[in-house]
Amino acid sequence: MPRISRYKRLFRLASSPHAAEQMVDDELRFHIDARAEDLIARGMSSGDAHRLALTEFGDVVRYRDDVLTIDHQYARELRMREFAESVWSDVRHAARAMARTPGFLLVTVLTLALGIGSATAIFSVVNGVLLQPLPYPRSDRVVQLFQVDNDGRRMSVSVPNFHDWNAQTRSFSAMALAHPPNTITVTSLREPARAVAADVSGDFFSVFGLHPEIGRVFSADEMRRAPSPLVVVSDAFWRKYLDASPSAIGRTISIEKKLYSVIGVMPPQMDYPAGNELWIPEELSPDELKPGRTSHGWRVVGRLKDGVTAAGAKRDLSSVSRRLKQQYGDATWMADGDLVSLREQLVGKTRTPLLVLFAAAGFLLLIACASVVNLLVARMTLRRSEIGVRLALGATRLQLSQQFLIEAGVLSGLGGLLGVGLAVGGVRLLLAMQTGSLPRANEIRVDWAVLAFAVGVSALAAIVLGLLAVWQGTRGDIRETLSSSQRTQAGSGSGARVRRTLVVSQMALTVVLLIGAGLLARSFLRLLAVDPGFRTQHLVVLDLALPYDDGPDAHQRRVAFHEQVMARLRVIPGVARVGVATGVPLVGDGADGGYLILSRIDQPVTADDWATLRHDPSRSGNADYRVVDGDYFQTMNIPLLRGRLFDSRDQSGSLRVALVSASLAKSKWPNEDAIGKIIEYGNMDNDMRPFAVVGVVGDVRGESLAAEPQPTFYAYEPQSSYAGNPFYVVMQTTGDPASVIASARAVAHELRPDVPPVLRTIESYIAASVADRRFVLALVGVFGGAALVLAMLGIYSVTSYLATQRRREIGVRVALGAQRGDVIGLVVRQGGSLAMIGIVVGAASALLLTRLLKGLVYGVSTTDPLSFVGVIFVLVAVALLASWFPARRATSVNPVDVLRGD
Amino acid sequence: MRMGESIDLLQGTLDLLVLRTVALGPGHGYAIARLIKERSKQVFLVEEGALYPALHRLERKGWIESEWGVSENNRKAKYYQITPRGRSALRAEVAEWQRYTKAVAGVLQPV
Repeated sequence: MPRISRYKRLFRLASSPHAAEQMVDDELRFHIDARAEDLIARGMSSGDAHRLALTEFGDVVRYRDDVLTIDHQYARELRMREFAESVWSDVRHAARAMARTPGFLLVTVLTLALGIGSATAIFSVVNGVLLQPLPYPRSDRVVQLFQVDNDGRRMSVSVPNFHDWNAQTRSFSAMALAHPPNTITVTSLREPARAVAADVSGDFFSVFGLHPEIGRVFSADEMRRAPSPLVVVSDAFWRKYLDASPSAIGRTISIEKKLYSVIGVMPPQMDYPAGNELWIPEELSPDELKPGRTSHGWRVVGRLKDGVTAAGAKRDLSSVSRRLKQQYGDATWMADGDLVSLREQLVGKTRTPLLVLFAAAGFLLLIACASVVNLLVARMTLRRSEIGVRLALGATRLQLSQQFLIEAGVLSGLGGLLGVGLAVGGVRLLLAMQTGSLPRANEIRVDWAVLAFAVGVSALAAIVLGLLAVWQGTRGDIRETLSSSQRTQAGSGSGARVRRTLVVSQMALTVVLLIGAGLLARSFLRLLAVDPGFRTQHLVVLDLALPYDDGPDAHQRRVAFHEQVMARLRVIPGVARVGVATGVPLVGDGADGGYLILSRIDQPVTADDWATLRHDPSRSGNADYRVVDGDYFQTMNIPLLRGRLFDSRDQSGSLRVALVSASLAKSKWPNEDAIGKIIEYGNMDNDMRPFAVVGVVGDVRGESLAAEPQPTFYAYEPQSSYAGNPFYVVMQTTGDPASVIASARAVAHELRPDVPPVLRTIESYIAASVADRRFVLALVGVFGGAALVLAMLGIYSVTSYLATQRRREIGVRVALGAQRGDVIGLVVRQGGSLAMIGIVVGAASALLLTRLLKGLVYGVSTTDPLSFVGVIFVLVAVALLASWFPARRATSVNPVDVLRGD
Repeated sequence: MRMGESIDLLQGTLDLLVLRTVALGPGHGYAIARLIKERSKQVFLVEEGALYPALHRLERKGWIESEWGVSENNRKAKYYQITPRGRSALRAEVAEWQRYTKAVAGVLQPV
């Protein structure tokens, strides 16, 4: 018997379900009839034979059903295999077809990769920072708690308030103090290291719920019973300074000249406070840092108990806080309590800029897809004769549609793959660029969620492109395309309409994107143009984190050391002037605190006075507190507005004098001279002697260029024993800062080899302060630039296409006497008018959309006319340029050729 | 147990018997049924209809293939024959069966 061919089998399956049943019936009937015939041959009667045959067969109905089920499943399997093979064959076919037009393939894949890649890269950032939960167990239960003052503002917390909260609230399974981290020096390592350390209370690690990689952590009980100098280190610190060795546990390191024993290493996910490397029990820190209920400065974190909602916990906290206010009255500045999820606290501020970036990337993706659609539509019109032939040869529309969908799928797949590659590189670049302006930067990576996003976007692109290709490829009567010429049928309406719409949309999107970029750029330039109130060039800052010295004569030692350092630095060639301060604007924050205004220098201040005066805004205030030397203001070029600077009259034993910033003077003494006023600032240095104001200096923007200057109070170093850490030496330089930095580093090393110095120019600090804005601007700028290129190419290609369409018309015009200029004008007008529609639509949309940028612009309105007009101008120019090339080509049309040939 | 009464078979064992029988040479369902009944001395396939699910299962696995033809007395009948894949499957299944029966026999042996 011949082998049964696959073709026959398929042919059998292709027939109807009725036929399939019929075959089974035939087969079974044959068996029963054959058996009956055998029995008849042995002498049985026909009726008996058939009955016996049926009985011997068994339950016919059941066996028939079984067989039909098996056949049905088999048929399905075969159909699926067939489908898979046809898809695979279409994929191979598509690959071959595209390999034949490598230009199209390259441009399409690259354009798609650009769009998908940028969207994916930005999504990685959005995912890592905004979407992902914090890397702690049940991190949605971790919150940060705040005191709220009389004006409803959130404040940091004082230690006694924390202890009362801990004891009296019922909603938290753990609550802990954490001090904002300090930069300190660690010795007894291979070389002295500068590290970031935070004092935390015993329950700190329970709040976060992470277990140490090795070793253990300290607990609240342990510290209560027997406070001992233990320290828990971060994974990064352990790897960098402790050789990542398990023997680090038990090792002793010296922090601030005190010895601590390393008891544990936390995994890299433990990143609170951000960037912290050493966690020290706060029970060990000197009580001067946490004197009373009014001294605040601590952060409090907590973990909600199971079953407690955030709203419930907030109510609990609030009622306890208000009870405390009633109990302590003016001895506490807390009027209420508030809490916020820790994630929100950490990333809330970045939400707007990141979403803006994501929108910008989205625009670029849409523009890129529009470009690809444009190319695809163009290709489809070229293939219409091929399609007509295939249809004539018997291909069905369904088969063709499947093929087009697969082609679109292959393109999107390749584009997506390349896009993911670009995104990986892009993310690395972004992380390098953001230099600390993004929270949770170490959690940004291309992970499964990001890959899923890329796959989703590619799939969406594939569907859209595929459907469009199907629509363009199979619409209308294709058979007619076999008869008509390439040129005439290429002019069919809907293909051109689609392409025109695409170009208009591209222009509109590009306009919005570029206007956004323009607004951000203007904001950035405005910001940089802000006068921060001090010298912005030729200034080098030395940052030394000296160990805290609280021994006897600490103040004298400090002043002597500062003088020694400054004397050595002054003689460095290239250094014009040197000054010292406990805080330098944009470089490092110093302390801030409350002060009182007294009427007489000898007026004693008691605790009651504090409380009463505190409430009177004309007798008290809050300001940044700085201790500086005599040359600080000249070195920093901070102008003296009234009175005098510190000089040799001011000794450690004589009347304490102070300088105040203009804003402080204006807010407290708007109609009087600030000179001669008396200020009590004793709680900063534990010396209750009041200060007399002898001069008013210019304001400085300490926190950022965009923020308003804070009122600042300056004490003179010989007269104030306040010890800030780190302390800063500022050097006014002439000439090359690099050599000054090198020499200063040598001096620092010679005087204090145990404290690693940080030396940077003021320009680098200023740049760092605007790094986040620069980051957003750079990205939006890149996207805008790419969009502009794509839009320009879009105009160029559509104008070429439309001009080619009108060759006959142009030929006729030329034959009738049209000049070169007329032809160019004709074509340019066509391309230009498309662009203009897009520009107008885009500008109108931008008017509505840019209000979303409100939080990001500085110094310009969101409808800044200069930006709008500038962008419109640029785009009109670009559009005209893009139309010009096809216009020039159109002038080379030979009217004879056109009119004769077809 | 009465003589001649059939034993209930597991589906798999029947499939094996059918496959073995088809391997002997192509045939239609009725012929295959007769062969099995003969060779097993009427023990197996007492209900002849049970053959057909087995045949269709084997065809779905690709171990046998079918074609419509004409029988000895000029009727339309579906003929089955074994495929090369079926032959290797048969070898494997027979080896497995022999391992199984040896094991059973080993345990059932009188002490």
